Amino acid sequence: MKYYFLALGTVVVVCVGCAMDGQQLTKKGEFHAPPAAMMQRPGPMVDGPGPGVLPMMAPPPQRPFALTTSQVRFVGPDGMKVGWQVPNGYAENQLVAPARYNFVQGQTYRLKLAGIPGHEGLTIYPTLKVYPAHPNTEAYLSHNSLPLQINVEDLEQVEGNNFVTKVIYLPDARYQELAVANVETLVSTRLDPGVDPIQEADKMGTIMAVLEMGNLDLEMPNPVAPQGTALNADGSEVQQVAYRAAFDGEQGQMMPPMPIGPAGQHVNGIPNAMMMAGMGLPGQPAGPISGVNMPVWGMPTTGTPIGLPGPTHLPYGGPAGLKSHTVRNLTKTDIGKPVDHMLIDVEHEPGISLPHPVKYVNYKEKHPVYSPGEVGYPAWAQPQGADGAYCPPGQQPQP
Amino acid sequence: MSRAMQAFVAALLWGGIVSVAAAQGTNTGHGRYVPIDQYVPPGIAGQMALQAGKAGPNDFQPVRVKLPTTGTVTFFDGTPQRPVELAAPAQAGLLVGRMYRLRVTNLPEFPGGEFYPSIELVDRLHPPPGQAERFPVEVELFPEEFHGADNGRMITKVVYLEQPNLVQTQHLHGEKRVIDLAPAQNALAEADVLGRPIAIVRMGGRTPDVNAPDWQFWGPGAPIRLTNVSITGPQTQFRGSPRGVIQPANFTSPQR
Repeated sequence: MKYYFLALGTVVVVCVGCAMDGQQLTKKGEFHAPPAAMMQRPGPMVDGPGPGVLPMMAPPPQRPFALTTSQVRFVGPDGMKVGWQVPNGYAENQLVAPARYNFVQGQTYRLKLAGIPGHEGLTIYPTLKVYPAHPNTEAYLSHNSLPLQINVEDLEQVEGNNFVTKVIYLPDARYQELAVANVETLVSTRLDPGVDPIQEADKMGTIMAVLEMGNLDLEMPNPVAPQGTALNADGSEVQQVAYRAAFDGEQGQMMPPMPIGPAGQHVNGIPNAMMMAGMGLPGQPAGPISGVNMPVWGMPTTGTPIGLPGPTHLPYGGPAGLKSHTVRNLTKTDIGKPVDHMLIDVEHEPGISLPHPVKYVNYKEKHPVYSPGEVGYPAWAQPQGADGAYCPPGQQPQP
Repeated sequence: MSRAMQAFVAALLWGGIVSVAAAQGTNTGHGRYVPIDQYVPPGIAGQMALQAGKAGPNDFQPVRVKLPTTGTVTFFDGTPQRPVELAAPAQAGLLVGRMYRLRVTNLPEFPGGEFYPSIELVDRLHPPPGQAERFPVEVELFPEEFHGADNGRMITKVVYLEQPNLVQTQHLHGEKRVIDLAPAQNALAEADVLGRPIAIVRMGGRTPDVNAPDWQFWGPGAPIRLTNVSITGPQTQFRGSPRGVIQPANFTSPQR
């Protein structure tokens, strides 16, 4: 009896195995392509040069529509005057809201907002971080502007000595309940205390810009003269003569903003190729070579009590007498041993799953077969006999 | 016939750019796997179409841009310094696989408004020889799309050629079929189920900045071809030579 079930099982396995290639057990009919950033390159760590002898396999494909600027639209309040930091000062009144401006991506700018209706005496100096374009946001940034709205609540928070952070991000589809979605803004004052709006926005989408503002006055005159400052007879501080650029947009003096730092360290999420000795080519000093692009090996760099490297010859002119110079570091440290084997696990969730390459094609054509007498001709193509009657194929009169 | 074979589809995706969708290909369920979607960076789908051999690098595909009522459609021949202004509906031949930035102005619904949509052809039509101008790819921009772009939202549309055996007969003589999709859906895959994706049209609210111009805004640039003047009706006004060949000296500078 058991042989019967063994044979039956064998037949089932053979028959089912012919119809299944194993993917049906693990696949759910879904395929997952790599992220958009990876689709533009061969992959992480595979597009660099070969093992020291080959040039770059293939340069990353050119981004055909890659903008270097993000257009920020200062939605309001209406009439707010927007200026920004430039070399040697601030350029004022460069824009009057509502207005828009193209800021170079990957940079941080210092803005100057003044003339806010209802808050005429308030001048705030927020920082605007314009993040680099990401493959997820390139289409949006090349066709849309980033709305930046400063409302009454933000101004009240600033006047109340609070720090306001506004994060403009493009939400992922899973966080969009309706098709009518748009770029969203996350404000720190609307979140629970301790919640970082940048981290929250990064979880829900791709950050495009961050605005941080407080009530710090960056142009406040120094009320107390520093020690050693020359004073006038009346005790006031002597104003030193210095060049200070002044740009006023209302007088047609326009000046582009000066970046004060980078913004957004991510580029596309795909790490560059890791290679020993840098990206050099044969014949060119690329890596660290002793005596070429680094000090000669063995050059003493340890300091001595006289500030010079190496053994000292004191007194000068006398014979070398110092035979031992010891500096002991008795600091107790516990920083672990150097790592001899490094392991980094990276994983996409869900994993990359593509249809398997085609390895078999069956191309078959079936042609109809007709017997004599089964073939008909349309009236206009009927072969005519000598008397005009129908003449079947093969029986036409020869010319 | 053009309308019958030129179905229109669209994914009106207001502002949605997603990373999840960009990270997932879609199995259409019809034996087709679409590794990209409408969210790939502009130009990538066209480049992949060229690499796949869907069209030659010098194949011009006539495209007709239709507006809700009237207006001016400006094509740019290679560079933004060579605008070609045409009255809507405007038709011009565009290269497959390249990105084109357009300018739409003089809309009576938006006085003074300027819109800068882009068209990316990912495939071409195959009309009878010599009749390509009679069967252009029709890109129709609707009023609600202009309203969305004017409010800072982004519209992404996928125009596809409908498969004959999937044509719904009640739409043979009616309006073009427009299908709204959720942001997470792959519009290219959906269009692939119903036919053959031809073009990706994107439109938002960004306009050129006079104070800080970004030349990348206009894209890499590609030539256009104007041939049949009468096809676009008597209102068409060319700023080129009568033969339709673009002459740089005949065009005005762009409004920047």
